[in-house]
Amino acid sequence: MGSITFHHVYKNYKGEERPAVHDFHLQIEEGEFLVLVGPSGCGKSTTLRMLAGLEEISRGDLYIDGKFVNYLSPKDRDIAMVFQNYALYPNLSVYENIALGLKLRKTAKHDIELRVGRVARILEISHLLERKPNQLSGGQKQRVALGRAIAREPQVFLMDEPLSNLDAKLRAQTRAELIKLQADLGRTMVYVTHDQVEAMTMGSRIVVMKDGVIQQVAPPRELYDRPVNMFVAGFIGSPQMNFLDGAIIREDGRYWFSSRRLKLPLPETFGARFNHSSRTLRQVVMGVRAEHVKLKADSSLGDGGVWYRGQVQMSEVTGADLYVYVELGEDTVIARAQPERDYPRHASVEIGFQIEKVHLFDKETGISLAAPGGDGG
Amino acid sequence: MRRRWSWFQFALVTSFTALAAFMSLPILFIVNHAFKPQNELFLFPPQFLVQNPTLRNFELLFLHASNATVPFTRYLFNSVLVAALALAGVILVSTMAAYALGKYRFHFKGFILSLITLSLMFAPETVGIPRYLIISGLGMNDTYFGHLLPLLASPVAVFLLIGFVSQIPDELLEAAKIDGASHLTIFSRIVIPLSAPAIATISILTFQTVWGDIETSTLFMQEETMRTLAFYVNSLLSGLQNSVAGQNMAAAAGLLMFLPNLIIFLIFQKRVLETMVHSGIK
Ligand SMILES: Nc1ncnc2c1ncn2[C@@H]1O[C@H](COP(=O)(O)OP(=O)(O)OP(=O)(O)O)[C@@H](O)[C@H]1O
Ligand SMILES: [Mg+2]
Repeated sequence: MGSITFHHVYKNYKGEERPAVHDFHLQIEEGEFLVLVGPSGCGKSTTLRMLAGLEEISRGDLYIDGKFVNYLSPKDRDIAMVFQNYALYPNLSVYENIALGLKLRKTAKHDIELRVGRVARILEISHLLERKPNQLSGGQKQRVALGRAIAREPQVFLMDEPLSNLDAKLRAQTRAELIKLQADLGRTMVYVTHDQVEAMTMGSRIVVMKDGVIQQVAPPRELYDRPVNMFVAGFIGSPQMNFLDGAIIREDGRYWFSSRRLKLPLPETFGARFNHSSRTLRQVVMGVRAEHVKLKADSSLGDGGVWYRGQVQMSEVTGADLYVYVELGEDTVIARAQPERDYPRHASVEIGFQIEKVHLFDKETGISLAAPGGDGG
Repeated sequence: MRRRWSWFQFALVTSFTALAAFMSLPILFIVNHAFKPQNELFLFPPQFLVQNPTLRNFELLFLHASNATVPFTRYLFNSVLVAALALAGVILVSTMAAYALGKYRFHFKGFILSLITLSLMFAPETVGIPRYLIISGLGMNDTYFGHLLPLLASPVAVFLLIGFVSQIPDELLEAAKIDGASHLTIFSRIVIPLSAPAIATISILTFQTVWGDIETSTLFMQEETMRTLAFYVNSLLSGLQNSVAGQNMAAAAGLLMFLPNLIIFLIFQKRVLETMVHSGIK
């Protein structure tokens, strides 16, 4: 119950040349917490709305529980949706807002009272049931919207950026509650956000989209550790991954990453990824996360580590972490440092790269050399 | 806590109060006039306020009316019935049209919208003859349909409501769709309640038009029993213009015709404000 299959789904809006969603092909398992994430306009909402039945599918098939639903109306899909601006009925009380869906489905009156009461207890809005939506705070409205979805006990929950109107603290709190709620209910959840932190903390699997095309589908850890292309690598993680232009060269019987400033020996294990490439020389972009850039003052690099001297541009404290922006030639590299130390502007520091953790992307296609087909062979 | 008024606010409030007072003078005059005895009615220069109020004018009016071939109550009944049906009809037709035009995309929508705009520009007099042809062609002469049909399609009402309905967020309607609401449910449970201020406004406008309308009675009703109060009062006044007693009756009839307008206005006016304050749209 609650599995979803997108079979090569396309969405073309009238008058738009490019499809808003392009070949969306995905199997969502029952009880899964799937997050759709991507920059503004990448087609997340469109995908969700096609799933809800609010938007026609231009091409491809959609199945819920193995049933073909392309032409099924929203009310017959056994789904519930939470909208970004809550979409509470302003003329109805909180109770009526939650109860309307049940009433329209001819649920018995005492059953409605029972269910609304239970949902209100779970969401701690029992004392608000008589109020009208305009007498609620943003967080309370959001709970009512959630309550409306939960009360119907649908197979699938759809949420389109439901937390984006809340302040940071409330957002973090509601995030945790949503995760717990989904686990308790055990229902499939498809959740849309443009916030990668939200995606990483909530999703059991994440779909990264760009320009209507799925870039990668993976659990959070895998997405972070093994991004398939530069877009995913740059989109996931904060601060953004460092990208350095360069080339792979072969010298002294081994492979090196080489740019104007850097020359880093690549580990033997990397060799397999481009050994059979027809070209021995290849233009690439090296990606390395801030936590894999070390400051000499903090730590060591192991054998063969090379230190490069650069100048501190600025530093940024985010609570537990300190990020130092180091100018290295024409590039700026962000490094994570021990927060106790001070890095004044223009100070000279030495940084090094944890070479086994770097990512290499093809300069033209942006595809990771580690990804299937990314070696260009 | 006392708010300090800026000089500008003070000037604004004073001038608008003065303007409002000036605009309400005719109302004051109508009310006072209806209770004036004959000598005050003919006083020159005319007085605004009545000195010795009397009900004599109303007496004369009812005496005259009860001597007519068709009883006064028949006209009143016709008027009330036509006003009520027209009000209900205009609200129903206009809100449904506005819901479709304001919230859905379909073929020829732009064309329909421009037709509505175009029809706003016709004065009622210019369409009198085609209307007559349609009504008599449909055999609606001397029926209540003849009163109602010309009023049902109200471009002003549709226009006003489209503006209102199109501002209802799409998400609200989509949420209802997912909740399992049919078009009719969405229309009646969401669109209608949220359009209440606009509906109140068009109710006032429509009532005033219908209540004062004499065109349908003049053109489409040959039988006296089918004509409305507005028509009766109008013919009464024009028939009595030169007689002395006519002035008394005219004064009383003027007030009687005006009162329902005022009552309807006050009822809906309150509703307009209430819904604007409490609806919580947005
Ligand atoms: N009704 C529509 N008609 C035409 N184009 C549309 C329509 N709705 C969306 N689009 C286009 O489709 C693309 C995807 O839109 P969509 O709303 O799915 O983006 P999104 O990923 O949800 O973005 P955001 O994070 O800003 O909500 C955009 O380029 C948008 O301009
Ligand atoms: Mg969106």
